[in-house]
Parts: sequence; C-alpha cells; structure tokens
Amino acid sequence: MTRTRRVAAAFRADWHSFLRRRTAVFFTFFFPLIIVVIFGALVRTEPTGGLFAEDPAYYVPGYLAVVVLFTPLSRVGSEVARHRDGNRFEKLATTPLSRAEWLLAQTLVNVVVIGLAALLLLALVVALTGAALALSALGVGALVVAVVAGVALFCGMGALIGSFASSQDGVIAASNGIALPLLFLSDTFVPPSMLPGWFRPAVWLSPLTYFARGVRAGTGQPVPAMASVDPRLGYLLVLLALTAVFVALGALALPRTD
Amino acid sequence: MTATLVAEDLRRAYGETVALDGVSLSVDEGEVFALVGPNGAGKTTLVRALTGTTDAEGSVTLFGNSPRDVDPERVGLLPQDFDPPERLTARELLAYYGGLYDDARNVERVLDDVGLREAAATWYENLSGGQRRRVCVGTALVNDPDLLFLDEPTTGIDPAGRRALWRLVEDLAAGGTTVLLTTHYMEEAHRLGDRVGLLADGRLVAVDDPDALVAEYGGDPRLVVETGADPAGLDLPSNVDARRVEGGEGNLTVRGIDPDDIGGVVDALDRAGATYESLTWTQPDLEDAYLELTSAGEGPAPTAGLGEESLTETVRGGDA
Repeated sequence: MTRTRRVAAAFRADWHSFLRRRTAVFFTFFFPLIIVVIFGALVRTEPTGGLFAEDPAYYVPGYLAVVVLFTPLSRVGSEVARHRDGNRFEKLATTPLSRAEWLLAQTLVNVVVIGLAALLLLALVVALTGAALALSALGVGALVVAVVAGVALFCGMGALIGSFASSQDGVIAASNGIALPLLFLSDTFVPPSMLPGWFRPAVWLSPLTYFARGVRAGTGQPVPAMASVDPRLGYLLVLLALTAVFVALGALALPRTD
Repeated sequence: MTATLVAEDLRRAYGETVALDGVSLSVDEGEVFALVGPNGAGKTTLVRALTGTTDAEGSVTLFGNSPRDVDPERVGLLPQDFDPPERLTARELLAYYGGLYDDARNVERVLDDVGLREAAATWYENLSGGQRRRVCVGTALVNDPDLLFLDEPTTGIDPAGRRALWRLVEDLAAGGTTVLLTTHYMEEAHRLGDRVGLLADGRLVAVDDPDALVAEYGGDPRLVVETGADPAGLDLPSNVDARRVEGGEGNLTVRGIDPDDIGGVVDALDRAGATYESLTWTQPDLEDAYLELTSAGEGPAPTAGLGEESLTETVRGGDA
C-alpha cells in the first residue's frame, strides 16, 4: 500500500508537470498527426510500387510507433536529465521512493498520454488512409498490450539514455539518433523485402520490430512465422520480455549518486 | 549523549581534485552541527558522503546504519542547488515529497513553518528566489525527520526570512532533531551551531563550540580610526600597547584594546591635533576565526559590519 502511495504521489507530480508544459502537450499530439497527414494523406499509398506500396493497414504499427517510440524516449530521457541537473535524484535517494518506483510513475504517465495519442492516431489513420483493421476483442487486447509494453520499453530505454547522456541537449540528440533508424528499419514503414539481403537479419534485433509485428498479428495482418510459437502471441511475448529487460536496466541506470 | 551520526576517515576525490581528505566527525542526538568553509572546501561532498549520495571511502553510520540502509523516514535532506519540478505549486511540491513517506506531516503546517501560506498556490517557477529556497527547506521537513541535512538552507533568503528559518531550526533542535547544516553565513553558524566545524581543502581543521573557536582563533579586539594621523606622533596612554598600533591607508588600527581605553586614544588624537572621520571598535567573531583558520585573513583592514554577531561600535565624525 505504501508503494502504491509513493508511486501515486510521483505520478501526480509528473502528470501535473507534463500537462502544464503546454508546448510539450501540443507537440506530443501534433507530431504524430503531422506524420499521418504527410504520409497517409499527402504521399499516399501507391499500389503501383514505391515507398508506400503496401496495404494501408500495414502502416498502422508505424504510425503508432511514432508516439510509442519517440515520446517516451525523449520525455523520460529529458526528465532524467532535468532531475540530475536539479539534484532531484540526490533528494529522492534519501526518500523511500526507489528508482524502479520513480520509473514506474514516469511510465504510467507516458502510458496514459501515449494511450490517448495512440487512440487519436488510430482514428485518424483509419479515416485518412482507409486502413482496414480486424479489431476483435483479442485484437484490441493485443493492441493495448503492445502499446503499453512498447511505451514501458522505450521509457526504460529513455532512462538509459538520460542516465548516460551528460545534458538535456545530449538526450535529445541521442534519442533522435536512436529513434529515427529504429522507426524505419523495424518492419514499420519499410518492409524488410525492400532492404538489402545482408541487412534483413538486423530487423530482428530491433525491439520495435516486435511491437510492429505484435500489433499486426493482433489485428489480423500477415506477419513472418516464428519457430514453434503462434505469432499472434510470440511477438507480444518477446516484446514483453524485452520490456522487462529495458525497464530493469533503465531503473538500475538511474543516478543515485553524483 | 547518543551519537546520531558518526563518520570516520572519509575520503573522496574527483580525478586529481581531493574533495574530502580524511574527515571524521560525530554529531549527537539533538545537536546542531554547522559546517563552514570556503567555496570548494568539500562541504557539499561531505553532506553527500553522509547521506550516501556519493561514493566515499571511509565509514558513515546514521542511527547505527549505513546511509543506504537507514530508515529514510528518519532522514531529511535539502541538497545544495536543489531545483524541484518548476510547474508545481508550493503546496503540490510539499504534497509530492510528503506522499513519498508513510507518516508525513500536514502540508499546511509545513507551509506555515516555512512562511509560505500566502504563496502556496503559486507555481515554483513564479516564486521569488527566497520563496523557492523556503519551499526546498519545506521538502526536507515534510517527513518530520530525526536527522536533518541542510546544505546552505538560507542562501538567497532575505534577512527576515533567514531569521524565521533560524527559529525553525532552533525549534526543531529543541524538539530533539539532529541537524547538520552548511552555510557561508558566519552569523548563522554561530547562532545555530552547538558546534561549528571548519572545513578547508577537504579537511576538518577545527571543530568546537563557536565561542571557543572565536576565543582560540579570532584574535584580539581592535579599534580602527579613520584618520591620516601618524601613530609615531601620538602620545598614547600607558595601557595601550604602542607596539600594536599600526597606521597607513587612512586608517589607524589599535589591536588588543579594551572598550574602556578608547577614550585614551581619542584624547591622544586630540592632543596631536589630528582629525578623524570615524572610530570603529570590533570584537573578534567567527568570521575572524574562519579567516585565521583558512589563512585568508585580511590583515589590519577594518572589518566592522562583516559579522553581525560581533560587538561593533562606530562613532562618526570628530574634530580635534
């Protein structure tokens, strides 16, 4: 109960802090909308070939990844840098709040914010691109699990970046440097068949691949087979395992001392 | 007395820079220990070593446990340069930090303690520098700690706010809270500290009751006369040691003089037909002891007004 109380206190503080940074709130929702409008409405899918030659539904995980990947990475990374610069971790180290609890509170805020952004994004993608998704109860469940796990995973990665980057500027640069390749090389916007043969195995190394394929499998789209596991479950399980690893590493990396 | 805090042979270096060089100290229950020292002396590193927020060699125990094993409910910390989330109100910040403890104090009471009831609904970023520091102090008090670390608690706070905070610390100590604070204000260290520790170059060069430090290291009382008179031309009374009279740069300094003998010096000036602008008699204070111990003494220059605790009397004007 006391842990719940601590996490709730940290959640409330971070929630208010985020909502009161209006620019951050605006761009958290506006950035993915721009992406959808550019790629979904202006560039459009071209059935005759080219960059956007796949079925519109194929790109849904990619659009979702824009918020699931970018927002936690930059938000948590920056928050870690702000906490370090303001000696907030020094203060928290002498309170009962553990580093894992702090990261959990940050993750919960991101889950709520990105959950809302993802809903908005999904509606816009379907409306603008005509993507047909088989949203059964199981599919919705898979979508929710994928979004929550994805957000948590990239919160953990953001904590790692924030802990090792020496400044807020460094966090932003590192976040972009990591997120951009992941966004386009994880079977999201670019099918692996368009990549050079020698590079394709690397797609399996990206955590975002498991998010994209987990969403796709859950919403009735074809995905590459997995050895001895039903891909509808397999990709989400790998995503959850990676989430556990990154959250644990992120919590451990958070500064406790100077 | 039971020692609440015991540190032995603490050492910490950042590359080639030695921040702590074998510091040992013990603070008793209910004691206020004031740590003073020049910038870069190692005060903040020492606080961090004591709270377990830096990795230092040596040993530290708080209530008999290592800093990282001690019950955090019993410890409060105000870090130096602490900058909490800026878009929370003072009340929300105290509620946040209070929410991290099982048994936190009532937020409104803490706001009253730090004198921020009026500004409770103001975002931290919109508070004045002094108000911000008071919020930060409040975050160290929300759990009603038995051991309180305050790293420069009154920096940026106006004199009235500073005195209010001093009263608060005195009340806490009277209630049994052990306090370790760092400060650049000698007046603060003298008033609050049951003992004062002077840190220089990472070493604790003196620890004692502040009055004892002043008596041992503060030097003699002195009279500074703003005059161009040459000391050699003065017929000083016999109870003023002429060897301890110095002149130059428009001042005449008489060291080791009692207040009762000031009249004799004035008479000597009158007899010599010398004019003077002011006379300032200064009793040594903690600042003098600090300057002596840190080898940063200013020599014979007037020091009136540097330390408010010193007994300083200035007489303006005066013609022979």
